[in-house]
Amino acid sequence: MSSSSHLSVVLDLSPSQWHLSSLSDTTSSPPCSLSLPAFLSQLIVFLNAHMASQHENSLAVFGAFPGKRHVCDSLVMLYASSDAVEHATPITVDANSYPPFKLLDTSLVQAIAAELDALSTSHADPSPLAPALVGALTKALCYVNRVSFSPSSTTTTTAQPSRDGQSPQSDVTDPRILILSVSPDLSTSYIPIMNAIFSAQKLVRYDPLSLLTLIFQLHPQKVTIDACQIYGAETVFLQQAAHLTGGSYLHLERRDALLQYLLMTFLSPPSIRKVLAVPTQDRIDFRAACFCHKNIVDIGFVCSVCLSIFCKPVPVCSTCRTKFPYKTVQRLKALGAPMAANAESARPSPSATPQPGTPLPDVISRSRTTSGVLPPGHPARNGGGLPSMARSASAFNPSS
Amino acid sequence: MPVAVAQDETKDVKKEHVLLPFLQTQSQNTLTRLYQRPSSCLSIFRLLSALERQIIMNLLWLESAISVSTMAAWVVREARPLYDNALATLARLHILPQSTVKLALNPTFKTSFRQALTGGGTSSSFGVPAGEGHDKAQDGIPTDRDGRKDDKRNAPSLNTLDSYAIERWETILHYMVGSGNGRRPPEPSPGVRFLLKTSGLMNEFHGSLQISSTGFQFLLHSPHEQLWHLLLQYLHLAEQRRMDLVDVLSFLFMLSTMELGREYTVANLTKTQSAMLEDLRDYGLIWQRKQSSRRFSPTRLSTTLTSCSPSLPNATGTSSGPQEGFIVLETNYRIYAYTDNPLQTAVLGLFASLKCRFPNLVIGSITRESVKKALSNGITADQIIAYLITHAHPNMRKNNPMLPVTVQDQIRLWELEKNRLKSQEGYLYTAFASQADYELVLNYAKELDVVLWENAAKRCFFGSAEGHSNIKGFIERRTMGQK
Repeated sequence: MSSSSHLSVVLDLSPSQWHLSSLSDTTSSPPCSLSLPAFLSQLIVFLNAHMASQHENSLAVFGAFPGKRHVCDSLVMLYASSDAVEHATPITVDANSYPPFKLLDTSLVQAIAAELDALSTSHADPSPLAPALVGALTKALCYVNRVSFSPSSTTTTTAQPSRDGQSPQSDVTDPRILILSVSPDLSTSYIPIMNAIFSAQKLVRYDPLSLLTLIFQLHPQKVTIDACQIYGAETVFLQQAAHLTGGSYLHLERRDALLQYLLMTFLSPPSIRKVLAVPTQDRIDFRAACFCHKNIVDIGFVCSVCLSIFCKPVPVCSTCRTKFPYKTVQRLKALGAPMAANAESARPSPSATPQPGTPLPDVISRSRTTSGVLPPGHPARNGGGLPSMARSASAFNPSS
Repeated sequence: MPVAVAQDETKDVKKEHVLLPFLQTQSQNTLTRLYQRPSSCLSIFRLLSALERQIIMNLLWLESAISVSTMAAWVVREARPLYDNALATLARLHILPQSTVKLALNPTFKTSFRQALTGGGTSSSFGVPAGEGHDKAQDGIPTDRDGRKDDKRNAPSLNTLDSYAIERWETILHYMVGSGNGRRPPEPSPGVRFLLKTSGLMNEFHGSLQISSTGFQFLLHSPHEQLWHLLLQYLHLAEQRRMDLVDVLSFLFMLSTMELGREYTVANLTKTQSAMLEDLRDYGLIWQRKQSSRRFSPTRLSTTLTSCSPSLPNATGTSSGPQEGFIVLETNYRIYAYTDNPLQTAVLGLFASLKCRFPNLVIGSITRESVKKALSNGITADQIIAYLITHAHPNMRKNNPMLPVTVQDQIRLWELEKNRLKSQEGYLYTAFASQADYELVLNYAKELDVVLWENAAKRCFFGSAEGHSNIKGFIERRTMGQK
């Protein structure tokens, strides 16, 4: 038996996207529509499988709902194995199912149903707000931080044993977050997503064993983010999230086989992935979104002081107020126009690398897709799409 | 009783669960019957290693068999031996039959485990809870007044269950410890004593039971290991008693999936399982209000059977130990144990000589005599050190290394001391007529490499037994030649 693992699942519960997903896909030869109830039943089996693997495994499920007035309303914690005591729905134990599974299933389904009901009654006007996936992701990170890194959890939890009498395990070894998304990328959420990725990479762990050598030695421990795009096009940001945290990104080809995908790819903890390989990405889209218009750009201009990204040359950086020399901006503008045209024309081919002859002293140009095998010195390897990308070139020089 | 902390868990990653070898010796027929119950499948699944679990999960929802090469394509090359090992274990458990072409789970296991994950079915393998009125409808015997009264009572609180389990379990351990030093602690039931005797943990000695050397080693294990050790003995005993092993095992697994603090009805148990109730009550795995009660509750000991979390809570009951480690060991061999638990004190007394006892503190020291006493009881130096590390006080954990090196080394040296003398059979050759004769024979013996000791002044040497016939022949040939 090994130590326990924690899994946080972020569910994208956008009703409109799920409706689209439930409509039969006429383009693909095997009809593979997936409705929300079908998805939930497969998901629940997956969650049960996670809980079955180890008695101490913990689980939290977060839902991201779209279109609520306040961002805090739109993300809801649907289930948490450690907090089940407080707001547990009374279940009738029957002899044919394992009580913890039943508790999980009932409370999850009830919570989702209640949220969806509230959504339909309160939200009459269909404002096109996107799901708060980032918010849910951030909340999941906070939760991971709480369950796995509190040094006093051993003393506090034994005092109040939870429902089945188990005190939640304090030493969670490999916290993971699984994002199940059906919505397309929302470019406005680029910066918060990147911030969430960096926090996931840098989450530090208070390790009681390391006390042997040094008091308060902090062990950097990553939170792995796995992502699964169940419906719709590939998402740039989730690909980057999975890649940068060592997780796995999957774009479902056969939605009706969701459970098998989930079990084979996302159930295994990192230690097992060293033995049984999981699907990896052979191409990752590393494009970033600009700070000014929140567009995903192929070619961007980076402030040399604060590393903000812009889609057009600007005289003053909107983030740090640095002024750039007029001449440089003029030159870049002149340069930017043909460059953009080039990139536009090259877009259909995935290997749209900049022309070798073009002088590109100040402009960052990135191929639309980058091969999964990166050279060691590649900025994307060095952990961070955004800052490292900017490190390689400086676009504007401050006037000083 | 404090419990094994992180160290034990990391060790467990490598170690196979003790029950698995036992299961592997069972026939396919037995195992298949066991796999008919979803709760057994779930429990056995949890006892497997992480890799084996993932392999099962990958195959669980496939309707058709998958070819071996497809499955192997997922395996990272360096980890191939691990993967093959896992497959072999699964094959021995008859979960995944060995095949060179196609891989498919045992159909019985597949059906039951799917049912365990999804719920449903009519197997009732997770225990039938004793519901209000439910019992009466099922077996409403009007004369059974006790039963009626019993039904109205509420389920026992978690504290009741915990203190009951601790009391039972510590009685067994106390009995074992106490038998060694002449004191007479309260005796557990005859069933438990019989089990202790047959398992070799205690030996019969002048009509009373005395702890054996395996028993001493047993005391230093974590409660979880101790429990499984006893249960394994119980299973062997059940085989001898011709109890149905499938019934016994599935009852244990059912207990492990039950909910703590809930009452279950005995109505659905088989005859074997009803007989087991009494035994398991003695071990503290099951709580019953009365012997004739038609309900029972699992205790924490049984609900944590398939996990590696602490099987006994520490903060409850009267004979409580501290929450985590409690032993401070200093470089001057002094031991400070912050405990008032007589059992812990007694276990400590196995290898340390105790000097003073305060309400919450026991002071003793590790001496040559105390360690030698432990060694002669069959405890090894490594076990003592492992016990000290497992139960070290949190403040001790800041040290690196945790225990003073001097003390660790000294305990090991004391163990070596025990092995100072080595006996070897052989022959002593004496009374050589001349120095030349002596040297001739000695040189011959040295060529054969059989000389263990020599003394030229006394003209004698000692040769090992295997060289004797050669030396004897050589001397005889020499004397024959001289004549």
